[in-house]
Amino acid sequence: MIYFKDINKKYPPDTLALNNVNLHIKPGEFVSIVGQSGTGKTTLIKLLIAEEKPTNGKIIVGGWDITDIPGRHVPILRRQIGVVFQDYKLLPKKTVMENVAFALQVAGETNQKIEKIVPQVLKIVGLEQKTKRFPEQLSGGEQQRVSIARSLVHRPKILVADEPTGNLDSINTREIIDLLQKINELGTTILLVTHNREVVNALRKRVITLEGGVVVSDQEKGKYIL
Amino acid sequence: MFLLSLARIFRFAFQSFLRNIWLSLVTITIIVMTVFSLTVLILVNVLTDQAVSSIKNKVDISLYFEAQTKEETVTDIKDQISKIDHVRDIEYVSATAALERFKATHSQDSLIQDAVDEMGENPLGPVLVVKADEMSNYPSILKNIEDFKINEVAKEIDYDDHQLIIQKIELISGKIKQFGLFLSIAFTLISLLVVFNTIRVGIYVHRDEVNIMKLVGASNWFIRGPFLVESILYAVFGCLVFWIIFYVAIGFINPIVSGFFADINFNLISYVLHNFWYIFGFELVAMVLLNIISSAFALGRHLKV
Repeated sequence: MIYFKDINKKYPPDTLALNNVNLHIKPGEFVSIVGQSGTGKTTLIKLLIAEEKPTNGKIIVGGWDITDIPGRHVPILRRQIGVVFQDYKLLPKKTVMENVAFALQVAGETNQKIEKIVPQVLKIVGLEQKTKRFPEQLSGGEQQRVSIARSLVHRPKILVADEPTGNLDSINTREIIDLLQKINELGTTILLVTHNREVVNALRKRVITLEGGVVVSDQEKGKYIL
Repeated sequence: MFLLSLARIFRFAFQSFLRNIWLSLVTITIIVMTVFSLTVLILVNVLTDQAVSSIKNKVDISLYFEAQTKEETVTDIKDQISKIDHVRDIEYVSATAALERFKATHSQDSLIQDAVDEMGENPLGPVLVVKADEMSNYPSILKNIEDFKINEVAKEIDYDDHQLIIQKIELISGKIKQFGLFLSIAFTLISLLVVFNTIRVGIYVHRDEVNIMKLVGASNWFIRGPFLVESILYAVFGCLVFWIIFYVAIGFINPIVSGFFADINFNLISYVLHNFWYIFGFELVAMVLLNIISSAFALGRHLKV
């Protein structure tokens, strides 16, 4: 599904963010990527969504070599990879429904399709009763669920969650992780970038540990080892 | 799907236009001033061209013959003159026609009318009026006519070239055009900068939306589209606002312009109405292109997709 082959990423003048990274993530896997700040976790995600290009190496997603992906193809890639962030990235002047629908509107989907898909994904994340609320009227956990709902509208094969529980308390963290597991069970590959030791240890799924831009550990049913 | 996306691009553009209404109004004001300077430049060009061509039309070489000159003699001379290079037209005015024209010209002056009546017989002779194809060819035609040695029958050869007046008009109009051109270039540059800045601010204001658009896979044109459409809206509204103001103002300006150019019978309202779509179309296309160029620079510099 996802291949990182001999990936190096160098930022000028001489910062080596990723050093000879080799990874293979299979379809339907739930993978936690852990490591201290500045170890290259976010760089890895940026390479995956083609926000950055590697200095060397090759990246293949679903059989598609995206290493030198042309700009016009990037939107097509991004519709296949859902992304959620620590800060939710919601539009404050739009309701829950509008925030989720926005992702479909900008992709040129018809109103009929939008009206069909949005309630479905909001039901998956458990927000079908709060569709008309604005982000500021929601808790942090609920806002993150809106963000997840938005990332699901294109029915992506991969969902990347970059520190999704960074701003949440333990109860909301548990709810979000449960939701990600539920999405994973529906067949979506999950890449979870996190600092949260408890979350990683409780998951008992594959754990990739980065240190100084190098993969120092890659364990099936692993634990947070740093 | 394309039409749906286009409709959404327009909706986002209008939203941005309205959300930053004060910035939009300032941008439109600058565009109104640019269109104003362009219109002034166009009208000054038209007015001076009309004035110069009107004076050029009055230029001719008139050959006045003695009253008793036979018609055949004048016709012979007319035939010879018509063979001279660059003669565009030659008119034969008989003695009777010349008298009628004279009377008509001085119809308001009873003294002259009485004097002519008292003379009894026609004191005027026939006249040949020669017109050249170009102003610059009159001297050579005049020289050719003089070579025919027609002084025995021609009482007078009159050539007033109005060169001095034309030169003065062209000098003044040249200065006005230079000033108008300078004004237009200045306003064009200001417009470019203002539109550039407005789009830049628009990108800043909408940075969160732009980031989310990128994140969820909006195409590059969908992200850039609203900003381009917004810049086109400024051009369209700027042109419309100017022409509404100008249409009201023209009623007050017209009597002044018509009075000033009484000799050339120029009516500003009828000229503007007759040529409205040409002028408006030219200005609209020019402003739209200008704004697209400016916003394209702003997008290229400040919006990485």
